Amino acid sequence: MDALLDFMRGPLLAFALMVLILGLARQVILGLWGIGESLHRASDRQIPFGRVIRTTMTWVFPVTRLHRSKPVFSYASFFFHLGVILSALFLQEHIDLLSGLGLSWPSIPRPLIDWIALLGLAGLIIILLYRIYVRQSRAVSGFLDYFILVLLILTVGMGYLAGQSWNVIPYKVTMLIHMGTGATILVLFPFTKLAHCALYPLVRLSSEVGWRFTQEGGSDVVKTLWGPEGRKI
Amino acid sequence: MVETVKETKTETIAEHGTTVETGAERKAAPAPPKLQPYFYHVDRVPIPEDRAQKFLQSFAVILRHTNYRFVLDMYARSMTRCGRCATSCPVYQVTGDPKDIPCARSKLIVDIYKRYFTPGGWLRAKFIGDDPLTNQKVDEIAESLYRCTACRRCSIECPMGIDHGLITHLGRYALSEAGIEPKGLVVSTREQLEGKTRNTSSVPLPALVDSLEFLEEDFESIKGAKIRFPMDEEGAEYVFFTPVSDYLMEAESLMGIAAVMTAAGVSWTLGSQCYDAINYGLFYNDWVLDRVNNTLLDETRRLKGDKILIGECGHASRAAKMFIPTFNRGKPIPVINIMELTYKLLEAGKLELDPNVVTERVTYHDPCNLARTGWVVDQPRAILHAFVKDFVEMTPNRQNNYCCGGGGGTVSLDEIHKFRMEIGGRRKMEQIRATGAEIVVAPCANCKKQLRELMNYHQLPVQVMGLHDLIMRAIRMPGAVPVGKEANATPTATEISPATSSREGATQESQVDAAVKSSDS
Repeated sequence: MDALLDFMRGPLLAFALMVLILGLARQVILGLWGIGESLHRASDRQIPFGRVIRTTMTWVFPVTRLHRSKPVFSYASFFFHLGVILSALFLQEHIDLLSGLGLSWPSIPRPLIDWIALLGLAGLIIILLYRIYVRQSRAVSGFLDYFILVLLILTVGMGYLAGQSWNVIPYKVTMLIHMGTGATILVLFPFTKLAHCALYPLVRLSSEVGWRFTQEGGSDVVKTLWGPEGRKI
Repeated sequence: MVETVKETKTETIAEHGTTVETGAERKAAPAPPKLQPYFYHVDRVPIPEDRAQKFLQSFAVILRHTNYRFVLDMYARSMTRCGRCATSCPVYQVTGDPKDIPCARSKLIVDIYKRYFTPGGWLRAKFIGDDPLTNQKVDEIAESLYRCTACRRCSIECPMGIDHGLITHLGRYALSEAGIEPKGLVVSTREQLEGKTRNTSSVPLPALVDSLEFLEEDFESIKGAKIRFPMDEEGAEYVFFTPVSDYLMEAESLMGIAAVMTAAGVSWTLGSQCYDAINYGLFYNDWVLDRVNNTLLDETRRLKGDKILIGECGHASRAAKMFIPTFNRGKPIPVINIMELTYKLLEAGKLELDPNVVTERVTYHDPCNLARTGWVVDQPRAILHAFVKDFVEMTPNRQNNYCCGGGGGTVSLDEIHKFRMEIGGRRKMEQIRATGAEIVVAPCANCKKQLRELMNYHQLPVQVMGLHDLIMRAIRMPGAVPVGKEANATPTATEISPATSSREGATQESQVDAAVKSSDS
């Protein structure tokens, strides 16, 4: 068991982080390349960058907008993101894992970080229940939506339990599940919708660039499909 | 011997609760005719038997020659399907049908992209399980995309910033190139680009000229002042384009616009070679969007105009403003909407509006294509506040407004009238009713048509008119000769009452009809 835990803390974590970083970097590079190439092909390159940046930033902290639509889901989503990100990045034990790389930053002390993790966990559970029980959410949910939520709940839940003295599950089992599901999530990031964590700053910009068409696009489509003579309407 | 027969079919689409008749020229075959699944009429008949294949083919060609691929790729990688868009969609709000959730609709297109145009989709189909595109799925996509009014309200509630309107646009474009496109849009566009009259309502030039003369005389009899609709005057600052349907239906809007131009001394002209701003390409095909925009550009260049001025119309304004910079192959020509210009003139003190004329309660409907990006939102309100005493906002409004229910070209599809009245436009009807307004100002040809039908269908005693209809009532024309009982000939509210208005509209229409007939004969 100890050897397995050491393997997870060491090579497995390194592998998962490498997949995460390289995979997301690839996504961002592809996204930037797509934006650049599309702008190059478009004849109208006037992008309202100010509005795009403003709206993108507003949705990073959407506290004034959450109540407008699906408030329970929206608040749960906000707090789960907040809880997961803060507890993943600012737990002392997590920071220590990277000390070998010479990286270090301030942590959030216990018990505050525990409460933050609990907030995230509550948000995750509400979202899972929403996706299961609310028809509207169920209709747009697929296997991965549920699978990722379950993995996140296990990761955060076990991580929280591991730090509690009243944890009835053996510590090593708790950590095994925590690290196993955590590593799986890290690996899944670049290949699933989790990539939105890196692509978020580019999506709204892409939507704007997407409306900048190529000048001859319509004609080229017609010529390719219908021949050089074109077609009648 | 294969015999060609004219066949008329009647089909009932339960979901839309509407019965439509479709006529089709087809070859007689021993098998009984199959009912086609489309509720709107598809013009290119028969509907392709291999439409799944055709759809994929057009999709592939579009991805190769346009910029859509990278957006689809970005959306496919980042779409979280949180479903927040559902609650902002006026169609979903009424139906509660999961198929009407914007991201579920977009998923139909994104899934095709992932399955057929990404390595991951190929691998998945090969080793996990395939879910190929079938004719039935194409039919579902076609129905789904035309239940959307392309109002893009969902895009402002998407935390990720995904624009489902763009996906709807792409999906309709691919359908169109695969031969699946609504007749209501295609027939009008065909006349506009390839027909004799070169406009969507088949209004011949002599009829248009007669109408304009009639409006000039009519205005003088009401307001005691002359207005002009200059035609083909070279070197004017603004070349004016408005939906040609305005010349048939919106006499007061046009007189109001001409009054503003005359009172402020603006240099403007209409063109005889192109007098229709309607651009249905925005709703279903980029090639059409390009071609229609170029008719406006060609006319502006022919007349040596400086700027393109678009009348009261949301989609025509957006199609020109947003896409003329893309499709213009010559010197840049700015595009502005008439409300922007009127606001500028009012601010500059060139217009005088009588604040005592409009006594009714007035509300304002934001056309989606003008308001969603915040382009024309404050200007019409500033104008209304200048002379309307009892102005009330509907809620929500401005960028967050509800669609009239006839957006995305659906107002031109009579086959889905019931859908537009009971589902697409229901939220708007409730909004208008809640204001208690007697007049709703809707500065858009499509919105006006839809809202008039909506008010009529739900029996709401509300007049629907353009912004310049109201301006016409209130404007003080310089040098006006007193007409009838009132100096400066400011008409009272009843002088252009709905009855008068509709009577004048009828007169106007009958004049055009007569001119059309004489031209045809």
